[in-house]
Amino acid sequence: MKRNNDWKLTLTSTPMILIYVMAVFCIIAAIRQPAFLSPATLVNLCRAGIFTMCFAICEMVVIISGGIDVSFPAIGCVAMYVPMYMYNNGMGVDNVFFFFGVAMLAGLIFGVLNGFLVSYLKLPPLIATLATSSVASGGLIMLLGTREFTTLPPSLEALYSINLLTFVDPNTGFNYPLTILILVPIILCLVMAYVMRYTMLGRGLYAIGGDSNAARIAGFNVRKLQFIAYIFCGVMASATAMIYTTLMHSSTTTALMGEEMIIIAACVVGGCRLTGGHGGVGGTVLGVLLITLVENNLNMLGIPTSWQTFAVGLVLLLGAVLSSVQAKRISKMGKI
Amino acid sequence: MKSRNLQGKAAPDTHMLTIVGLMVLALVIMAVLQPGDYFTLRNVRSMIFQFPEYGILAFGMMVCMIAGGIDLSLVGIMNFTGVLAAMIVTKMTANGSDLSMAVPAIILAVIVALAVGGCCGAFNGFIIGYFNIPAMLVTLCGLQLYTGLAYGITGGPAINGMCDAFKNIANGTVAGIPYVLFIYILAVAVVAFVMKSTVFGHEIYFLGSNAKASRYSGINTLKVTVMTHMFSGILGGVSGILITSHLNSAKSSNGSTYTLLTLLIVVLGGVHPDGGKGRVMGVALATILLQLITNAFGLMHMDDNAKTFVNGCLLVAALLLDAYLDKRALKKKSE
Amino acid sequence: MSEEVFLKLEGVKKSFGGVHALRGVDLEIRKGEIHCLAGENGCGKSTLIKAISGVHNPDEGSIWIDGEKVENMKPMDAINRGIQVIYQDFAVFPNLTVAENIALNGELKNKTKFVNWKQIHEVAEKAMAQVGADIDPDVKLERLSVANKQMVAICRAIINDAKLLILDEPTTALTAREVDKLWDIIRSLKAKGIAIMIVNHKLDEIYRIADRLTILRNGTYISSGDISEYDQERFTRDMTGKDITEEKYMPEPGSEEVLRVEHLSRKGAFENVSFSLHKGDVLGITGLLGSGRGEIGEALFGLSPADSGKIVLNGKEISIKSVSDAMANEIGYVPEDRLTQGLFMQRSIQDNTIAASIRQYMKHGRLDKKGMEDTTNYWIKELGIKAPSPKPAVRTLSGGNAQKVVIAKWLNTHPKLFILDGPTVGVDVGAKAEIHSILHDLAKKGIGIIIISDDLPELVQNCNKILVMKEGKVSGMMDNSIDERTLGNMLVGSSDRGGEKA
Repeated sequence: MKRNNDWKLTLTSTPMILIYVMAVFCIIAAIRQPAFLSPATLVNLCRAGIFTMCFAICEMVVIISGGIDVSFPAIGCVAMYVPMYMYNNGMGVDNVFFFFGVAMLAGLIFGVLNGFLVSYLKLPPLIATLATSSVASGGLIMLLGTREFTTLPPSLEALYSINLLTFVDPNTGFNYPLTILILVPIILCLVMAYVMRYTMLGRGLYAIGGDSNAARIAGFNVRKLQFIAYIFCGVMASATAMIYTTLMHSSTTTALMGEEMIIIAACVVGGCRLTGGHGGVGGTVLGVLLITLVENNLNMLGIPTSWQTFAVGLVLLLGAVLSSVQAKRISKMGKI
Repeated sequence: MKSRNLQGKAAPDTHMLTIVGLMVLALVIMAVLQPGDYFTLRNVRSMIFQFPEYGILAFGMMVCMIAGGIDLSLVGIMNFTGVLAAMIVTKMTANGSDLSMAVPAIILAVIVALAVGGCCGAFNGFIIGYFNIPAMLVTLCGLQLYTGLAYGITGGPAINGMCDAFKNIANGTVAGIPYVLFIYILAVAVVAFVMKSTVFGHEIYFLGSNAKASRYSGINTLKVTVMTHMFSGILGGVSGILITSHLNSAKSSNGSTYTLLTLLIVVLGGVHPDGGKGRVMGVALATILLQLITNAFGLMHMDDNAKTFVNGCLLVAALLLDAYLDKRALKKKSE
Repeated sequence: MSEEVFLKLEGVKKSFGGVHALRGVDLEIRKGEIHCLAGENGCGKSTLIKAISGVHNPDEGSIWIDGEKVENMKPMDAINRGIQVIYQDFAVFPNLTVAENIALNGELKNKTKFVNWKQIHEVAEKAMAQVGADIDPDVKLERLSVANKQMVAICRAIINDAKLLILDEPTTALTAREVDKLWDIIRSLKAKGIAIMIVNHKLDEIYRIADRLTILRNGTYISSGDISEYDQERFTRDMTGKDITEEKYMPEPGSEEVLRVEHLSRKGAFENVSFSLHKGDVLGITGLLGSGRGEIGEALFGLSPADSGKIVLNGKEISIKSVSDAMANEIGYVPEDRLTQGLFMQRSIQDNTIAASIRQYMKHGRLDKKGMEDTTNYWIKELGIKAPSPKPAVRTLSGGNAQKVVIAKWLNTHPKLFILDGPTVGVDVGAKAEIHSILHDLAKKGIGIIIISDDLPELVQNCNKILVMKEGKVSGMMDNSIDERTLGNMLVGSSDRGGEKA
């Protein structure tokens, strides 16, 4: 009886529903556009998912700890713009480590600011990070202007041209290279999956998200853990922004603005609850896959480009409703 | 006992005083820096042309925040209703050439904008109340949805070419006073009346103070949530008309900085982010304060992004001030 | 039981900003005993627990643990000395599994950096075996019942070599069977030599479990001794500082029927509940948690409506499907949890008073501010609420005055039927009597009064009819000639009449 219940629960759990939705999506897309079923789609999907995946993991950590961070796009913009600006104004060396180092330092500064506002001053996370966002974005443009850097320094160009594999479409002869940087989100996911499950740091983040008062009584350093979450988010988002610059050959002051919407949605669709304490790397990966699939392949379903914003919004809304219905179902289920 | 009572009453007033003090400070600074340009009739008028569109939007944010939520979809609603209004006006007046249809077109556009704004808000409210999803998430989705609708309808490019009568709504004057000032004052009066003198207004405060106790006091919390967001959506519709008329163009990405700006105004105006507290006058004063600052930046030829930067700093400062005042009030009470 | 003392407090004083929470408390807890700490609400029990567990340091007085005088104790020091507190809300993590909840504190104490899940499971299994709990260690806490959450909290407390276990009001949220199981576990822990301190104020429970008893009143130590030294009279006198002089409520027999409920049922909560209420009657509904006592009130007020049955109010059959139905039929309801369900703590007395009746004040399209203020002043005077004006926020009021505001809120709707769930929880003795006399006056005016409570002395003194609920069914309808010991036995079903269960 109990086992039977669990089995049903697994089949209707959030990750399984995501898998069903993706399967249905792929089948419809494949029927409408047989070209969908080609390795090229997969390679494109991987490329498109790199940033989303990294950002989503950052956001996930903050959401699990019971907060939210809407400032990472602005922080990312600072992080991708400042090193390029320095390089182009003759203030830096042409070295991959330099670029990433400067980017992550910028991320650290704003991460500390977020952590300070939320954990020490106890401001509501949404408003605190919105403020950080405008400080970062406004300050950046005010001080450094709005230029667009479209040529990469040689060292980044070299990084860009390392490919893991290249798929050549036999019909069209197009090349679909898969960059080495795809390893970053993969490694990040594996490491974070380990950290969240097998270290006291990770369990502490879950604990403060679940009940910060109980965590305090148990002896967790709640402030420190919140700080770590926001700093991690800032630093990792900055590194991701640098990857963005490398892959897109572009660094502007506003390139990432507005990304937060999709990322938060990917986390929520993947089972993170905005109240904190729930969610995990596995679910987030599924959420990101779904969002990336929908964002990049809506035209395969015959939806015109101009309606894609709306369609993505609809998917997000359904995801939010789904996760709320699931939470309600669990709370209504007989207590044991 | 009596002194505590007085203090309880004085607390919000210190907040108002702070805002007024900041306004005076801004005026004094400008008087020193730019004595010639700042205190001219032309400058005052140009300020009045600018603030009503986001000032009205801020009331939408205020209402939702007092009810214990937040409305991040306001800018989406504003642009969506703006696009609809622009389409109606341009279609009915044949791109501003058929003047005979101007008045009915404008009336229809206004009705449609307000109705659609209300529907969008009501939809937000229903999802929030019925499924018990945090308002932040729902309205974030709403922002995407309504922006997406506006984008889908227009297909991307802005709609231009409104008739003169429509442009006049936000750009015209009567006896030298811009129409929009009257619209703004009307909005302030309506919002103040609703919040202070109607059952619905009191229910919003109750809901924001303690949602559970509201239910146990016989308040239909779902209905109040839906109505609150509907109210907010209608205000978004008013802003939609104003901004479309002001810019003579409607598209899905107008006013993207307004979300932060309205949040700033509302928090600066003394609305508590946890709900239950906040006054119309505080928000109105904060709107004017921000317009003074924005205008000062404009006159000193500082760019828009400096403004964003300063707004962010102000938001943090306002929150810190609130936290400090709260703490001090608590301390005083325990003593 | 050994005579060796584990914990000793002498003349402990503590005040917060001029309020004296503890004014000199002595306490002695011996190894391997079950010690009850009793006192009315607000007597300083929780402050005392915090002093023992190192959350607050006392202003004056001394604490000895295991014969050693300790000063400036921190929460971690108390834990290291074997003192574990189980708070009323258990302080568990709803989003983590049972095993993790049990073992996490130990890992944290050992300052481990990595989590060994195998070890966590072993620790959890061992702790659960010790108390005889049988819970799936991989289930998340949010799916557990209150009793099992408490079990997890107990498991977590004992794995760290606990010498003194303090339980704060452990039975308030348990059903009868769960209470029995809890007592079994407590006794088995006692047999292992662990000292137990239970905060409780219910006499029948104290008799069943405690070895010794300490009574506090108003932050002051009153008396202490073996449980056998206390009879009911002394217990009540020491607790309240008054002899039992209050007369039982005896209305004049009235003929008019106010309320009749027939075969009311809601699946999973209660079934086939019937009773009637005549003019002047005060009906008490009692039972343990989960017996359906509170649910009847919620059903009559439409919060979670009944599935079937008939409700006749003043001779008219009514149907209640929602709170608005209940309010349209002039039913008022004072909820169990005043702080979260009853009041808007940040708002003024006036706002709270008119919260349920605000529509009355809509005049000529706007709200009548003057009328609201007059009404609030009227109720402040009528109910004796100690407040200077209608303006102060309710959070500045004491428990008794705050409860009067909740009552005022409903009286202002002029109810025909007034349901009160736990009307005097957390209310001091003086205000308690005042609230009771208010209710009696209302009953005499022909308003149906239903008091739902597990405070048996309160029911016996103030109700002339008592409905006893057990496992969702009516197990008896008493008049108030019954004494509270017998009533207490009826609740848990340990009386001779236990055979009627089929």
